[in-house]
Amino acid sequence: MNLLREAETALCPANEPNAEVPNGAAGHYLLGLIYRYTGRRTCAVDHFMQALAIDPLLWAAYEELCILGAAEEASECFNDAAAFRVQQQQLSESSSQNLTIGTECQSLPSSMALGSGDTSPRHSKQLHANNTRETLSHPHGTVMVAGHPPIGGPSNISQYYTPPAVTQLSGVAPPPLCRNAQLYLNAIGGDGYTKSNVNAVIQAPRRKFVDEGKLRKVSGRLFSDSGTRRSTRLSGEAAANTNSNASQLGGNGANHFSAKSLGGLSSSSSKTNSAVLRSVTLRRGQSWANENFDEGRRSQIFYDSCADNTVTTSSMSALADGKCLEQDKMGCGISAHDSRLASGIREFLGLLRTLGEGYRLSCLYRSQEALEVYLRLSQHQFNTGWVLSQVGKAHFELVDYFEADRFFDLARRVSPYTLEGMDIYSTVLYHLEEEMKLSYLAQELISVDRLSPQAWCAMGNCYSLQKDHETAVKNFQRAVHVDSRFAYAHTLCGHEYVALEDFENGIKCYQSALQVDERHYNAWYGLGVVYLRQEKFEFAEHHFRKAFHINPCSSVLMCYLGMALHSLKRDEEALEIMEKAISADKKNPLPMYQKANILSSLERFDEALKELEQLKEYAPRESSVYALMGKIYKRLNVHEKAMFYFGIALDLKPPAADVATIKSAMEKLYLPDELEDTL
Amino acid sequence: MATESDGEEDTAGKLTGSQHLEVDDDLREMAKKAAWSVSSCKPGNGVLALRDDNLDTYWQSDGAQPHLVNIQFQKKVKLQLLVLYVDFKLDESYTPSKISIRAGDGFHNLKEIKTVEFKKPVGWVHIPLSGTDPRETFIHTFMLQLAVLSNHLNGRDTHVRQIKIYGPRPNPVPHQPFHFISKEFITYSTLK
Repeated sequence: MNLLREAETALCPANEPNAEVPNGAAGHYLLGLIYRYTGRRTCAVDHFMQALAIDPLLWAAYEELCILGAAEEASECFNDAAAFRVQQQQLSESSSQNLTIGTECQSLPSSMALGSGDTSPRHSKQLHANNTRETLSHPHGTVMVAGHPPIGGPSNISQYYTPPAVTQLSGVAPPPLCRNAQLYLNAIGGDGYTKSNVNAVIQAPRRKFVDEGKLRKVSGRLFSDSGTRRSTRLSGEAAANTNSNASQLGGNGANHFSAKSLGGLSSSSSKTNSAVLRSVTLRRGQSWANENFDEGRRSQIFYDSCADNTVTTSSMSALADGKCLEQDKMGCGISAHDSRLASGIREFLGLLRTLGEGYRLSCLYRSQEALEVYLRLSQHQFNTGWVLSQVGKAHFELVDYFEADRFFDLARRVSPYTLEGMDIYSTVLYHLEEEMKLSYLAQELISVDRLSPQAWCAMGNCYSLQKDHETAVKNFQRAVHVDSRFAYAHTLCGHEYVALEDFENGIKCYQSALQVDERHYNAWYGLGVVYLRQEKFEFAEHHFRKAFHINPCSSVLMCYLGMALHSLKRDEEALEIMEKAISADKKNPLPMYQKANILSSLERFDEALKELEQLKEYAPRESSVYALMGKIYKRLNVHEKAMFYFGIALDLKPPAADVATIKSAMEKLYLPDELEDTL
Repeated sequence: MATESDGEEDTAGKLTGSQHLEVDDDLREMAKKAAWSVSSCKPGNGVLALRDDNLDTYWQSDGAQPHLVNIQFQKKVKLQLLVLYVDFKLDESYTPSKISIRAGDGFHNLKEIKTVEFKKPVGWVHIPLSGTDPRETFIHTFMLQLAVLSNHLNGRDTHVRQIKIYGPRPNPVPHQPFHFISKEFITYSTLK
């Protein structure tokens, strides 16, 4: 809703600077978001840290810290002390939670239905409401009405309710994992968000969660957090999702949940933990229509629920399993709860640790290390949409487009309705010049959610690939309009303006991108390119260096930095960087070419020729390589070779501009010969 | 074959126009940000009709020959191709038959670079702006002027339905002397 200031004052009344932030961790999280969006980074970091301290399972806070570049090691955040704290929290509430879980779950659907399109005016109010509600919902008892929301009444409030119930597991980590509600939903869905006739079954797994005891408070917080996040972030998405899925929902109108379940997180280990992992976090309000389960669309249910099953695609089976397990567990008695709780928490935190570390490294653009961390995950955790997307993204940052393509493709297969990370995938396809795949991706994304920035980014990339820059600009502007806090949309828009040689608008776009996210190295890069074109070399170098500082492993960035240095005549440094770029990525021909360029301008022709010979082997049909060789031979006055290479270059059909340059160079070759003849 | 030396009578040197606009991929329309003006026009058929991407609207001149269309760019640009849409079947005596293309820095120093003749053209007429010299694939200029010297059937005024001007695309990699054409290079040449 963008009423950030009101939200801020509500959460943190100006005249009471030391008042405790309402609703503890979630409140801090919200405040952190507010500060982030208004540009006050240190305050934001502070609040996120506090949020994490109070509730170590608040993955959202950790994620934001990563994005801001200020996260500590995941093992610090998700360590044993945290486990202990979580345990304490859960234990204190476990007693009253049994029944409430059930009710909460139901209320979730109802509230979600209500809440989905809802615009919560005052986050704070809701937060408070949430707190009180949590206690109220307890007495609700085991009235499981899957298809019939008990707390359908007060929209705002109930919406806060359900989430708690639903977020069975400190869906913290899971949320990111399951940004695609669908996927996880299934897993969780297995837990019972199916049609009404499965009431009892649904009940069972829920209770299991209660046993684990992690839910309430955490979920409550998460919910409020997700609720507010929804409003402060991509509220449009939620509405869109629910709307789009509404049509899919057959009879289960009420059961619209906008939630992100962490199906993927279901740990493979003990049964006790499985429940823990089934948490649904309402993140971006992606609705999980029950139908979807029923339609079996979510084929990827990485919900290794209770019965140690491997990924099961049918929610029913998961449900059934959950039920058995549940009953099993109930049989064990309460005394076992605590130990299970403890071990469950530990397992869960272990998982969070790995994911957190991976995410953190990925945000710090230490992509190689991030990849290693992700590889440590177990097979089915790895094969979840979120993780695969993150791996794809890491490869993208390393400029390894083929691998990125592979992983994103897998991610899409695994969870076809994921939107997060798909903008990066569209860029990967753009670079690989895969027109078909890119247009297909764009169409699919639009059909999943017309109001998501990623879908419009993909469309824009499509047009950009066809060199229709004006339409691309329109599409990117739509993406910006849909979500102005989506930095990448701004950057892509800037790229298109620059392609149209409209530098002013391009710079504006890049700057808006940077306002949203200072660590968005693509925007720094874009600004560098603009200044390079405008021959403001100092500026160009400064911007490239900033981009390089943020993402030190991209060979293309290093190359551009080298080019800027060369333009500033700092050739030694330029050559150094080129060497680095070459060693960073063997498949990238650009730094070799640029190195040859620099060397030839320094008149170190032999070395230049050596590089070009190597390049020739690598890309034998690249006319610019031959053209440059021809140029060098011309400088060396070896006319036959020059003519030879110019000839090859022309044969490879370069664009007209090059043809003109090469031909004129060839013309000039004749003159000295003629002079010799006449002499 | 009819006498080729005399370019007036035979159709060998004359352009007739084609149904489709065929432009190379490595060219782009250059004159979106240019200033367009005409020597004269009939009210309702002004210069806008030349740029509105609508083949039904046309510019009609309203004065003495030669009729001029002036295109002034904000900076010196490389131009490669001029394309006109004219239609003899609809416009008959209003269809231009001889056109002179001039370029320069401004009105004061325009120099003719090309003259072309049309023979009952219907459709898009592509006029490359290069000279015979292969080095001159482009002309590098601030201003272009299109002068309609005469019309078919000795008509006084002229109709032109659309004009487009094309030039080379800028190199996506700045300060690079040559363009990359192979996929291996293009993939890595920029970041997005």
